[in-house]
Parts: sequence; structure tokens; C-alpha cells
Amino acid sequence: MPPPRALSEFVAEANEVLETLAHDLAVLDAQRGREPEPDLLNAVFRAAHSLKGLSAMFGQEKIAGLAHHLEDVLDALRLGKVQNSDALVDTLLEGVDVLTLMLREAAGEPANPDTHPRAAAVADHFARLAGGGQATSADVLDEVGIDPAIRAVFTEYEEHRLRENVKKGVTLWKVRAVFSLEDFDTRLAALNTTLKPLGEVISTLPSSQPGDDASIAFDLIFGSGRAKAEIEKAVEGVASVSPLTQKTISPARDAVPAEFTPAPRKPPPSALFLQEASAPDLPAFGGSSQSGVMQGAEPSLRSLAQTVRVDISRLDGLMNTIGELLTVRANIQRLAEVARQSGSTPLPKLWAQELQKESRALERKLDDLQNGVLDVRMVPLVQVFDKLARLMRRLVRQSGKDVHFEVAGGDVELDKLIVEELSDPLMHLLRNALDHGVEAPDERIAQGKDARGVIRLKAQQLGNQVQIEVGDDGAGMDETRIRQVAIERGVVTREATEELERRDLLNLVFLPGFSTRQDVSELSGRGVGLDVVKTNLSRLSGLIDIDSRRGEGTRFLLTLPLTLAIIRALIVGVGDRTFAVPLNSVTEIVSVKPAELRTIERHEVIDVRGQTLPFVRLARVFGLRETPVERHFVVIIGLAQDRFGLAVDALLGQEDIVTKPLGGRLRGVRGIAGATELGDRRAVLVLDVGALVEELKRPTAAVG
Amino acid sequence: MSGCKVLIVEDSRATRELLAAAIEVLEGVEVFTVVSGFEALKVLPRHRFSLIITDINMPDINGLELINFVKKNPHYRQTPLFVVTTEGREQDRDRGLQLGADEYLVKPFQSEILTALARRYLKL
Amino acid sequence: MARFDDLLNRFFYRADENVGAWLELAPEIADSIEELEELPEEFLAFELSTETYAVPIGAVREILKVPLITSVPRVAENVLGVMNVRGEMLPVYDLKQRLNLDSTPQRVAGPNDVPRETRVVLLKDPEGDAGILVDRVKGVVRLMLSKLEPAPTLGAERRAVAGLGRKDGQLYILLDVEQALG
Repeated sequence: MPPPRALSEFVAEANEVLETLAHDLAVLDAQRGREPEPDLLNAVFRAAHSLKGLSAMFGQEKIAGLAHHLEDVLDALRLGKVQNSDALVDTLLEGVDVLTLMLREAAGEPANPDTHPRAAAVADHFARLAGGGQATSADVLDEVGIDPAIRAVFTEYEEHRLRENVKKGVTLWKVRAVFSLEDFDTRLAALNTTLKPLGEVISTLPSSQPGDDASIAFDLIFGSGRAKAEIEKAVEGVASVSPLTQKTISPARDAVPAEFTPAPRKPPPSALFLQEASAPDLPAFGGSSQSGVMQGAEPSLRSLAQTVRVDISRLDGLMNTIGELLTVRANIQRLAEVARQSGSTPLPKLWAQELQKESRALERKLDDLQNGVLDVRMVPLVQVFDKLARLMRRLVRQSGKDVHFEVAGGDVELDKLIVEELSDPLMHLLRNALDHGVEAPDERIAQGKDARGVIRLKAQQLGNQVQIEVGDDGAGMDETRIRQVAIERGVVTREATEELERRDLLNLVFLPGFSTRQDVSELSGRGVGLDVVKTNLSRLSGLIDIDSRRGEGTRFLLTLPLTLAIIRALIVGVGDRTFAVPLNSVTEIVSVKPAELRTIERHEVIDVRGQTLPFVRLARVFGLRETPVERHFVVIIGLAQDRFGLAVDALLGQEDIVTKPLGGRLRGVRGIAGATELGDRRAVLVLDVGALVEELKRPTAAVG
Repeated sequence: MSGCKVLIVEDSRATRELLAAAIEVLEGVEVFTVVSGFEALKVLPRHRFSLIITDINMPDINGLELINFVKKNPHYRQTPLFVVTTEGREQDRDRGLQLGADEYLVKPFQSEILTALARRYLKL
Repeated sequence: MARFDDLLNRFFYRADENVGAWLELAPEIADSIEELEELPEEFLAFELSTETYAVPIGAVREILKVPLITSVPRVAENVLGVMNVRGEMLPVYDLKQRLNLDSTPQRVAGPNDVPRETRVVLLKDPEGDAGILVDRVKGVVRLMLSKLEPAPTLGAERRAVAGLGRKDGQLYILLDVEQALG
């Protein structure tokens, strides 16, 4: 029986491999024109290789087939048979895209009719690339004479690197170090870091000679033009250095600078470190030598992998449980408070105090737990930035414009769910910047700008929020045109536009059905407007703002919460109803007496430190019965000029809440983001402040 | 012979699970999995393995180096070692066998083959 | 040995088996098995005002004592509100208006607003599970599908009736859940 679980394991891992591959190819792309770093080439090759093996193992023949072609090209590239070029990287990226499509189909998504022809075209292209330039020269490794026993363990690629080093006239060294079994990997990494500036570490060989049970010897095969003394000094106290080759290298093929003259051979003067010959004889395995550190530390291990992959829904489940625990804790706290106040005798009173203390300890631990789970959910934005960079690369090429795409802040971390949901809105904004923002090169030159435009994608963390900027140095937005279109499309009346300030005019582009260009170019993307971008963002509790100057460019600023999972909310009462208002959307809370209310054209307003804000009764917004109050509590929501005072009857405190969507049929009730549970298990509705602000901004949404 | 330990060295998570499952059908066999050559070097002295199964293409030390390490070391040299790899290249295959690998399986192969080979070498 | 078989099944499949097709087929396998001899189907019967209604037992997720119900603004009148079922926020419907059993909408915020026998029947539904408030749960009744009568034409409002069943002199009105909640 085919196991669905195995398939999903495969899909998850193959997906990771493809993401790594795409990332590395982007780095490779940036190194165009230079000799690519051997480590990078090898990593890219290994990724393709892993994908091939993995797919073959899981019976995914088609993916394995294409991955094989990809691997051949990358192998040719790392072996220096093919040169790194624009066309090559393009084809490789197309290969990754096609493989991603094929993987989706393997995962059960509907087949895309393009996939097959694209796969065939890429495979064909790969085959031609890999086949070309078979340039194998006489083996220089035979000439220099390396111990056949050592040569036997080199892979074809390592031999290639050896050859490259020999051709360069560089000396090959054997750097020997003995490390404890406990930490040899970190020590080796440190040694690698030391050696890297001096040359290339081609291979790391564990010495086949047995050390004692607690340590292990390594030979690093190292190619370096530096003098032996210099290398020895760098690794002093850690490793010994000896030449690898029998003969000195004849640098006949290439001219070799004088400084590269190999150092004279002599045995390393190392008393500190074990030489192969002087390694002491050791007792047989399993004998008494098993005493000591290793014996006691023997763990019962099943796998030494340091990471686990977790389905995000499991983390959601954990988050929910934590949310429920927070509720339980609030209950305990309340009971303790009741007991403390009503306890007439000393004993229950004392007991209540203890309970309260424990409850506070519980709260702290729950905080830790909550932060821990939140932390696990965080992923770097680079996951989506990489995909966008690839897309932009292709789009820029198609557009015929000259654009430098700048990416920064990929290391900023956000909740996985938010990162996933961000790719569409960001892609749309970037397409817009390319399509409508950056001008054609001749136009730019005519305006005295650099022919090459710039599109920026930048993220930074600001406290509990992340700000993402999508900017360009293009034409900027044309307010007159926006005004005209808005009136033509009936989005707003002519009279209304006259009162609008520049910023408000710009914000009209977020209204449904707005597009400043009549011709919908292929790049601007399937007729989706900025309104969809805004809706997507508000679903993530995010805000979007525009700044644009004619001739200088446009900048979209997205502000997002770090996480959606648990938020701090203000609990408010309206009549006998209770609502939760996410505190991240509340700027301040004031209280007013009914007598302090004023009206403008019969709309109620309040004065908040000299600024007049609309006063909106939540009861009226939701069509609830209003109860007379002595004073209103006013929750100020919204940003900048779009601020509103939302009036409620009572403030009931603050709580950490987990917002859950309303079940199926009630999904999408305007102004309600979902529900959460408070102490008594009753569902409390959570306001969707973004949606409410949008609604209040529209003149049609007159209250009452 | 029961209670024997098998070490699987493989960096691909999904493949590692596949290999482990193919070995775990053998009764009384305890499977240990590690993700790299370095990890293998760390666990080798701690257990007496009856069989080692390794990939070739791995991030730190390659599988050939691991074979060499095992087969040249008097402590481990008797331990049967299988190479399981996508590396179909003649050169790598020949080297693997020259270095002393006992079996060389090129992916994809049927799990039954691995199970059967393991059973034979473990004398179950 | 069973554990190992299980492991194998979890991780392996033979290369000639097409996973995609299997995955698609799996949920339907149970449905495609034809009954040779008709067996009675089980229905959950409940009272709404003076009438007895029934829904297929397979459509019932659970029966709940009336929980606290939070009313939701801006939704249809037949939605009493949302309830918290072990962390899930699910809607509760009042069907009486829809079924012409009552002319005014009820307001139910919790167990204190209803008689002791009132229950919420939580129905499974592809659009999202939903609860319906019923006056009393009568129990499980077994009805032969082939003996069911079509719903009589009683005016446009009766669309929420899927059919009628009869047993031991009792009339069971089979509820068309989709219509009743819509």
C-alpha cells in the first residue's frame, strides 16, 4: 500500500533542497564574471545530486530524470568544463522552477499543461550544456606523485580541485591534527577557518590509523602557495604540516610567480602531535580501553540529527493549548483573589496568598513557553525574498528595462504564516514597481537619471513590528491622473477629490477596481489590483502606506506584526456584550462625558489634545442596543489622518488572546476577526480593527 | 544472532527513514542513524556495529573517506559496509569497492534487496 | 513483526503503484461498496416545537448541553451566535423561524435561557460544522431508505424538508441541513 506519509516526507525534503538550490544559484548569479567559489559550486552540485537520489528513491522518475540532467550541468560547471554565464544561470533557474512545478504535481496538485514541455526544453538545454567542452588534459596528478592510498579516497571532484591547484603551481600540503572525539567537528571548522585565507582545503581525511578511543586524527589536504613556515605558524599548536606530493611541482603549464616556489621538504618538527608512525599501539576495541570518558557518556541514540521539522499546524495546536492554559491561569488567579478577600480565618487567607504566588510563577513559566513556541514559528524573510529575487530577475529581463534589484533585511524573522502570506502582495508591488514605476532607459537618460533603475526590497524590525519597504526610483505617481481615474471609475465624487489631500489621493489606488493604466500589461499580473494587496495585508493585521514623488519614485511601506499567534488585547464592554480589541491597533484610550461631545454636520466628534476625531459608537456600528452611560471610554484606532474614536461602555482589562476564526459559515463577518475564549469559556468576539477603519473611512458607511 | 546494531550514514532525511525502515524489518536489529561522516566518526567507537550503510556524497567527509577509515582501522575492518548511493559513476564505484566496501547499491533499488543483503551479512 | 510491517507500509510503496490515484480513491472506497440487501439507516430524531425531525446519524458530530452562546452582529437572524467547543468557535442556529415553527427570533445566550431538555446538535457540514438548537433529543431511529416519502408540496417555505419517514405511527421529518442553515 502506498504510504501517504512517505510521500509527504519526500515532498517536504525535496522542497527544502530546491529552496537551497535556488538560494545558492542566486549567489552564483551574483558571482558572474568571477571564478565562482569552489565551495559554492560544490554545494549547488550536491543539492542537485541529493534531489536526484531522493526522487529516485521515492519512485519519482521524472523529477529524478530532470535532476540528473541538472546535476550533469552542475558537475561540468564545478569541474570547469562549462563556464558560469548569464545564459547558464537562466537555464539553471528555469530548471529549478520546473522541478518545483513537478514536485507540486507529485504532491497532488493539479497538473499544469506547461510543465511537460518546459521540462523537455530544459532537459534538452541541459544535455547540450553538459555535453559541450569536454576538455580533459593529461593528468598532472600522476606527475606530482601522491600516495596512491590517499588518492584512492578522493572523489572525482576532489581530484579536479587537486588538479586545479597543481595547475596553478600551488603546493599541496597535508595538515595533520588530532582532536578529541567529543568536539572534533568544531575544532576542524576552526582549523578550516584558519586555513582558508591561505589557500584551499580540498579534502578532510580521517586518519585510518586508530587513535585512542577518545581522539581522532585528520589529514587536511590543503593547496597553498604560501611558505611552509607561514602555514605552520598559522596552525601552531593545533596541527602539523607536511608536503603531500612526492615530487615538487613542475609549474611548466603556467607561469608561476617566484613566491610560489615550493618550500623544501622536510619532516614536520612536531613533537606535540602524533605522527602516523609514532601512534602508540592500542588495545583492541571492546577491551578494557573502553573505560574513561566515552564509556560513561554513551547516549542511547537513535538519530544524531540536531533539528526536527514540524508541521505548522502542530505549532498552532500548541499555541491553542497555551492560550487555554492562559485562561486557566487567569481563573486560578481570580479564585485566589476571591479566597484571599473572603477568607475570614488566617489559614485560608494564608493559603490563598500561597496560591497567588504560585499562580504568578505559573504565569512566568507560561510566558517562557509562549515565547519559546513563538520563537520556533519564526522564519527569516529570506525564504520569500529569494523567490522574489528570482522572479524579478526574469521579469526584468522580459521587460527590456535596466533595473538593479536591491534586497536587504532577509535575516529579519517573522511568523511562518505571515511569511507565507507575504509573497503574493510583495510580488504584486514589485511587478508594479517594474511595470509602472521604473521608466525605460532612454526616458530615464532624457530626465537626467541613471539609465539603470533601482527597485528596493528592504525589511527591518522595529520593536514588535516588521517594516518592509518596496521602493523604486522611477516616475512616481501622478496625482492628477489618479484623481481623474478615480472620478471616471466612480470610486469617488469630483467634489470629494477636491477636499482630499495629496496623501489621501495616493491612497485611492487601494480602492477596489482601481488601476492607473488602461493597458493591462502582461507584467502587471492578471488584473489584480492594489486593493487585493491591501486586503491580503489586513488579513495579516498589516498596514500599508504609500509615499510617492513625481520623477523621484514610489515607496510602499508595509508594517506587520511579528506574529499572529498570541496578541495582547483590550477587553471592552458594550451593554452586556464583551469584545476584544487587539492592542497593536489601539493608539490610546481616553474617556469623555456625553456633554463633551460635539457634532459636525451631525456627526459626533471629540477633541483629543487639540485634534478633532470622529466619535463612533461601537454599539451603533454593530446595531446593538445602546445604554446610557455617565462617561464613554474611547479607544483610538487607525493611523495618521484616518483615526477614529471608538466608543465603548466599559474597559474590562487586558488579556493575551489567541484569535480563532469563526467556524465556516460565519467566516468573513465584516469587522469581526474571530473569537477568543476568556475565563468563563465564553466565546468573545475579536474586532477586526483594520476592516472597521476601512469601513468608517467610506462615506457610505454612515453610522446609525 | 540477535541484538545486533546497524549504523546508517545518510544526509537525506527521507532516504534515511527509508533505509532504516528496510533494516528494521529484520527482527532483533537495532538501527542507528546519523546524518554525516563526522557523526559517524563520533558514534563508531561507542558501539559495536554489525553493519554500516553509508552514502557517498555527504557534506563533511565523503563516503569514500569513511570506507577507508573503517576498512583500514583494525577495530572496525571486519564490519561489513554497504555503500548506498546515487553515484553511478564507474570511477567512484570502483574506488568504493577497492577501498573495501562489501556491497555497492545504486539508488533507486528495491528495499527488499537491501533487506535481503543485510540479512545475509548479519547472518540472520 | 506487526510493527515492522507497519513501518514498511508507512515508508515504502512499489514503484509501479501510482500514488496520486490511490490518494484520490481512498476516501471513496467505503462509499463504493454496494449493499446487497437493504439495511435500515440510522437517524437522530429530535423535537422542534411540536414536530419531530431527523438527520442521518452520520451527519451528527456530537450532542451538547446548551453552552454559553455569544451573539454575533451583522449575521442572519437565524444565527444565535458562536459557541466555544473545546477551543473551536462554531455557529449555533435557530431553525424554528426557517421552519415556520416560530415567528419571532429567540435570544439564547446560555443554558439559563432555555428549558432543561434543550440541546445543541452539532452537525458535520462541508461548509463548516454548525450547531442547531433543538427542544429535545428523542434518540436514534432506524428507517428504510426505500420507504421514505418525498416531501409534500406545502408552499415554498418547506424546502428545508428532504423527505418523510414513518415508523410505529410517528412521523419523522428529514431535515435538509444545507437548506435549513442557508
